[in-house]
Amino acid sequence: MGGTSRLVRAVSAVVLAAALGALAACGSSGSGSQGSGTGTVKMVLWPGPEGDAMAKVVSAYNAGQGKTDKIHIDMTLLSRSDTFSKEATLMATKSSEFDVYFTASYLVAQHAPYLQPLQGLDASRYFPSAVQSLQVEGKQYALPLDISNNFLYYRTDLINKLRTDPTWQASYARISQQLVGQSLTPKDPADWTWNDFIATAAFFTKKENPQSPTTYGTALQAKNLLFNTMIWDDVLWSFGGGWLDSSGKPALDSTAAHQAMQVYNTIYTKALTSPDSSQAEFPETQAAMTSGNAAMAIQWSAGYADLNNPTKSPTTAGKVGVAPVPGDKHQTHVHALAVAINNYGKNRSAAQKWISYLETPQAMTLYAKSGGIPAQPGVLSSLTSVNPVYTFIARDLSADGFSEPALPKTYDIYSALAQDLSGAWVGQQSIDAALKKADSDLGTLAAQKSGNK
Amino acid sequence: MPRNHTRGARWILSAPLLVFVAVAVIYPIVYGVRTALQNRTLLDPDASWAGAANFLTTVKDSGFWHAVWFTILFTAIVTCVELVLGFCLALLVDKYFPGKKPLLSALILPIMIAPALMGVMFRLLLNENIGAVPALLHDAGIHITLFSNGAVVPLLIVLDIVQWTPFTFLLFYAGLQALPRDTYEAAAVDGAGFARTVRSVVLPMMAPVVFITGFLRAIDAFRTFDVIYVLTGGGPGDQTTTMSIYIYKLFATGNFGTASAAAVLAALIVLPLVPVVTRRAVGGTTAEAAR
Amino acid sequence: MTEAVLTTPAQTSVPAGLPPRRRSEPRRAWWKTALVTVIAILINLPMLNAIYTSFRPDGDISRAPLSLHLHLTLGHYRNLFNGGSGYDFSRYFLNSVLISLGAVVLVLVLTIPAGYAIVRLGFGGRYLLRGVTALRLVPAIFFAIPFFLLYNSLGLYDTVPSLILANTFLNLPLGLLVLAGALRDLPVEIEEAAIMDGCGVYRTLRSVVLPLLAPALVAVAVLVFLFSWSDYLFAVILSSSNATPVTVGAANFVTSTGIRWGDISAATVLSVLPPLCFAVFAQRALVSGLSAGAVKG
Repeated sequence: MGGTSRLVRAVSAVVLAAALGALAACGSSGSGSQGSGTGTVKMVLWPGPEGDAMAKVVSAYNAGQGKTDKIHIDMTLLSRSDTFSKEATLMATKSSEFDVYFTASYLVAQHAPYLQPLQGLDASRYFPSAVQSLQVEGKQYALPLDISNNFLYYRTDLINKLRTDPTWQASYARISQQLVGQSLTPKDPADWTWNDFIATAAFFTKKENPQSPTTYGTALQAKNLLFNTMIWDDVLWSFGGGWLDSSGKPALDSTAAHQAMQVYNTIYTKALTSPDSSQAEFPETQAAMTSGNAAMAIQWSAGYADLNNPTKSPTTAGKVGVAPVPGDKHQTHVHALAVAINNYGKNRSAAQKWISYLETPQAMTLYAKSGGIPAQPGVLSSLTSVNPVYTFIARDLSADGFSEPALPKTYDIYSALAQDLSGAWVGQQSIDAALKKADSDLGTLAAQKSGNK
Repeated sequence: MPRNHTRGARWILSAPLLVFVAVAVIYPIVYGVRTALQNRTLLDPDASWAGAANFLTTVKDSGFWHAVWFTILFTAIVTCVELVLGFCLALLVDKYFPGKKPLLSALILPIMIAPALMGVMFRLLLNENIGAVPALLHDAGIHITLFSNGAVVPLLIVLDIVQWTPFTFLLFYAGLQALPRDTYEAAAVDGAGFARTVRSVVLPMMAPVVFITGFLRAIDAFRTFDVIYVLTGGGPGDQTTTMSIYIYKLFATGNFGTASAAAVLAALIVLPLVPVVTRRAVGGTTAEAAR
Repeated sequence: MTEAVLTTPAQTSVPAGLPPRRRSEPRRAWWKTALVTVIAILINLPMLNAIYTSFRPDGDISRAPLSLHLHLTLGHYRNLFNGGSGYDFSRYFLNSVLISLGAVVLVLVLTIPAGYAIVRLGFGGRYLLRGVTALRLVPAIFFAIPFFLLYNSLGLYDTVPSLILANTFLNLPLGLLVLAGALRDLPVEIEEAAIMDGCGVYRTLRSVVLPLLAPALVAVAVLVFLFSWSDYLFAVILSSSNATPVTVGAANFVTSTGIRWGDISAATVLSVLPPLCFAVFAQRALVSGLSAGAVKG
């Protein structure tokens, strides 16, 4: 029976060789022709309001303009947390699976080697910060689709009472004296500094003020998560700080950075937010508001719709005030979620046609009506009845919006800062040590240039 | 057994596994190890050789060692607790009692929930504003915040125990049912107490099962990812960062070379366990023993 | 299900047709029932909470966890199947079932003969066993890119077979370890007798060893089914739309504007039913396997 064993050995050798041979060929799909300009265009997006709104735009296009263009759009939704890891896998293997990738201001520099620059984008339709945040080395790599920034959301019923009720004002003066060392009078949230924010948070915290109708004044988002770095950046920028100084050196050991850390640290260690905030992000903050346990929070623009929806949040609907993020100077992080053309795609000219369609106010109007937040101020201003928060976005973004530097490693920097700083946000680590570590990590990552091309 | 008769048979019987290993196992491993030796990030579409640089970067990163230490500690604690609890539960359920059948199913229901979904379910259940557990505790007059700094690590351990004790229980229960009843009932009849019977009769006979179960549980706990990632993202800071979370974050930021190197190192750390366990659990093979 | 896995080799010695032995229990142990019920409730809190949440309207979920005023709704379940969520869950379920069953079959086909060759025929000694076992040590993300490349080049990307192969890969160590352990515990004399009687190796394996092995096979099948059903990472990497399983589909309810608690709870509740059904089915298979073994052994 030795013959059998030789046979089996031979078969396995052949199978192995065949398998490895087949693989040697992959990874070489190059950027050759642009495709026919018609046919199916496959696009990735993530689920949620952006995906839902885009689905409407896609079906409108497929039923109308797409027929004329002879283009059919096929959209795939990947799960939110894994969209970018999946895209990283696709890009790393130079896949031609999708023609249109989903990207964002904080990722575009990393994705750029796999994207084809866009042709003829009309920048005047967009918020300038949104368009600029998607440029790498002077080239426009992606089309702004949806814009995200932060606001202060507060319960109008509670804040109005605070601003009119003399007993409340008296205790507010006392509490602010204790917490921030000044006797304050309640102001319009649009004019708040961080001291006003902290004093108000303390006033609406049961432990500090037994009369408070809410358990905690606010809900901090302090989980180790890159999106939470973006919110903390609001505080950093509001004190005049930033990631880099004017000469491009890391500037996280600055006074502004210490002040910004102190704001988070005070709110958490004085328990003006729940201890569980150390693991909180978007959904936890929404829950703190919808349950009526928190009086106000810094939250993403996308959170407004649900908070103001009587079916989804009966407690807060109709009672959500919108103000710019507090500070000596009001600042909000702005980023755009965006679509871009896969440089290794097979149907790039058709993808370009689809992207040009997405640029039209008509497409973006449908997108906005279906729940997205387009980056075109003109569209937002005409649709304030659809979502009241559009008024604030259109008004505030040009004045208060900032983008973090678009470095090749921006995405890594957000993650690294969340890792380095989140311990100190919640008093687990000293602010000094955390900022020193963050400053040195930032220095390393900011110095890294894009690859050999 | 007549050896010449079986020489061909053993190749033929093993052929499917060998072909599968050749096609689906060797390539990914070779490729992954090669990536670990390359300068490969999302920013460099064309990788270049890096030699041991990725391994050095990893070994020099204090975050890596913190993750190793946390993972080992977490794995050791949950594996031991789950083995003990699973064994006790299996002893408890071993003999007949009313309602045993449906309760058995209920006891292993937690392992049917995908960890990725279990993380989200825990996140809802334990949410201080809209979760049932904090509300129940509050109504009972217990005021603790589950995710506060001191509580988060014990909480994650408890959650792992809740989901995976059913797994150890399942294997132990199966093992108990397989024991020759007569031996261990005889011991009981001889007047040996229950505890003594368990210690001197049941445990020795169950040793292989305990080893397999402990090993399977330990290597899965060592790779713990979903529940912790969903709940804490590895924080605050890097307090709850496991090896898998550490590697996932490298991967998600496009640092494929370093991620692969860290994964190889992680595997090497546990590798010495393998021969120990296969020997204790399966023993020498019969054929080897016959030689 | 449990019965399935759990009624194991002890009963192989029971002649077919007789009810399982019930050891003399002087009094019915109701205290055990109470204790086990409490334990079962505690460890199933996430599931019970998911069931509860899946029937509550969004407005209630967002306000308070416990409420005496029950407004129940089937809306979340309708969302899963009516296209109300934009996702096609019936397809995700079908994919998950095919993937898990496929992985069970493939793992058994690969590990039964190989396990027999390793344990009884001395094939590859302990090295093959160790090598395969070591596979499970590597963090899964390590395989993301190579798997993607491999299955893409085989033309299997975003197909059910690619996920079957990936889950087989993941569960081989489990299957081989458990089966090798069970094989080693079988009395070798029966096989020797069969060979003396003139049965070849294959016939011995098929007619003598397999029936005796039935309980272990069921245990492996159930565990492989469960782990394949739960896989998330490989499914994310290897599927995009056609082969999406339930785990990945449900994760779509985690969005950039929060988690759709009601919908994802409903998806979680339903996702537990197929593994339960599989377990019941496996239990039947076990019973027939046992009687076959009892008759022949």
